[in-house]
Amino acid sequence: MVQISSDIIRGYNDTMILNILMKGPSYGYQISKEIKTISDEKYVIKETTLYSAFTRIEKNGYIESFVANPDPEGNGKKRTYYRITEAGLEYYKSKCEEWELTKEVVEKFIEENPDSLTLDDN
Amino acid sequence: METIKGYLEAMFAGMPNTPEVRKAKSELLQMMEDKYNELIEEGASENSAVGTVISEFGNLDELADDLGLKKEVEEAHGKESETPRRHITLDEVKDFIINRRKKALFLALGVMLCIISVTAPIMLDIFGAGDLGAALMFVFVGAGVGSLIYCGFVDSNWKFMKNSPCQIDMNTAKYVEEARNSFEAVRAICITLGTVLCVICWVPCIIIDYYKVNENLGGVLIFLLVGIGVFLIVYSNTIASGYDKLLELNDKTTFSGTYVDSSPKPVNVIKYKNKTAETIVALYWPTVTCLYLILSFLTFQWGITWIIWVIAGVAHKAVVINCQADDYE
Repeated sequence: MVQISSDIIRGYNDTMILNILMKGPSYGYQISKEIKTISDEKYVIKETTLYSAFTRIEKNGYIESFVANPDPEGNGKKRTYYRITEAGLEYYKSKCEEWELTKEVVEKFIEENPDSLTLDDN
Repeated sequence: METIKGYLEAMFAGMPNTPEVRKAKSELLQMMEDKYNELIEEGASENSAVGTVISEFGNLDELADDLGLKKEVEEAHGKESETPRRHITLDEVKDFIINRRKKALFLALGVMLCIISVTAPIMLDIFGAGDLGAALMFVFVGAGVGSLIYCGFVDSNWKFMKNSPCQIDMNTAKYVEEARNSFEAVRAICITLGTVLCVICWVPCIIIDYYKVNENLGGVLIFLLVGIGVFLIVYSNTIASGYDKLLELNDKTTFSGTYVDSSPKPVNVIKYKNKTAETIVALYWPTVTCLYLILSFLTFQWGITWIIWVIAGVAHKAVVINCQADDYE
């Protein structure tokens, strides 16, 4: 079975997180669930990957974290929420352009039907 | 859920106890807990939920790199292998707590016996048998000292905790913390009662003085009340310090150590002008106690000498204020 190239996807975890946060503040598990749903369960982000992405992009100023209580009626557990910043939005836009370019270039080398390919001996 | 906590605990074993690592751990636990709860809600069995959560956890090395902890992680691993920590299990911890209670009992009993030993000569003096009283006093002191010596042996099995580095895991630390917190109420009662007994110990003297009953009886009651008060204080403090000792096993190089650090008790440390001032304050009450005992035994006027405590109590405030550093609020 074909798997997602972890090298490629690593560079776009930030983009996915920013995309989800554009819809509103969210927290760790909800974001990982969104990623899974949106990718039709083709990509499951690891907890450590997600957390390391959070710390990295927060350090870069693309997201902000704040502590909130999801349900006041509940067990009173505090949760760390993240929200996107202006800089984050700019970064997201540039990542989208970068991806378009990358896709455009790589796609020029991708055959539509690789299964039919053979090596001619000439 | 305990399995997941244990797994995370194992992953973080040997990580330095820095705020970054603590945060990473609690955030990761939160995510795993959310995922686990949802899987269970969806009808997954506990085993399969735990399996999924752990398989999707990822790799801590990735995190160590991002958090800039690579060097620290390696250092911690280095320390770990230099001095392997002895792991204390939950059962051992429970044993330790039972043992601690025993130790506390004998320690407090020993101190109390020594304190109330002096009541024997005073008491028997009332009946005119002073010599017998002195003999009885030594019996009390003997029993007290015996009790103190015995309490030294009670925890000899636990000497290794002092001599070699040990650690407890997160679940055990939680158990100890809960036990400590539930003991806190008992301790508060013991300390309050003990302190009140020590403070009001001279009240019977006044009453006895007022009704002109035998004055020696007042002296006896002072020591009895102080003895019981000290017993309560020593007993509850010894048990409480046992819990703290367990929680302090984990230091900066282990993770569960956060339990003590994260809930620091408010400590009201008074700053003094200089070393001399500090010494004066430290020696104040022992000096007053000595003065009181010497005067009382020399004069045998228990009905009057208690006034020393009233004067000393008022004077104490003045002494402390004079010795405090000016910038202390």
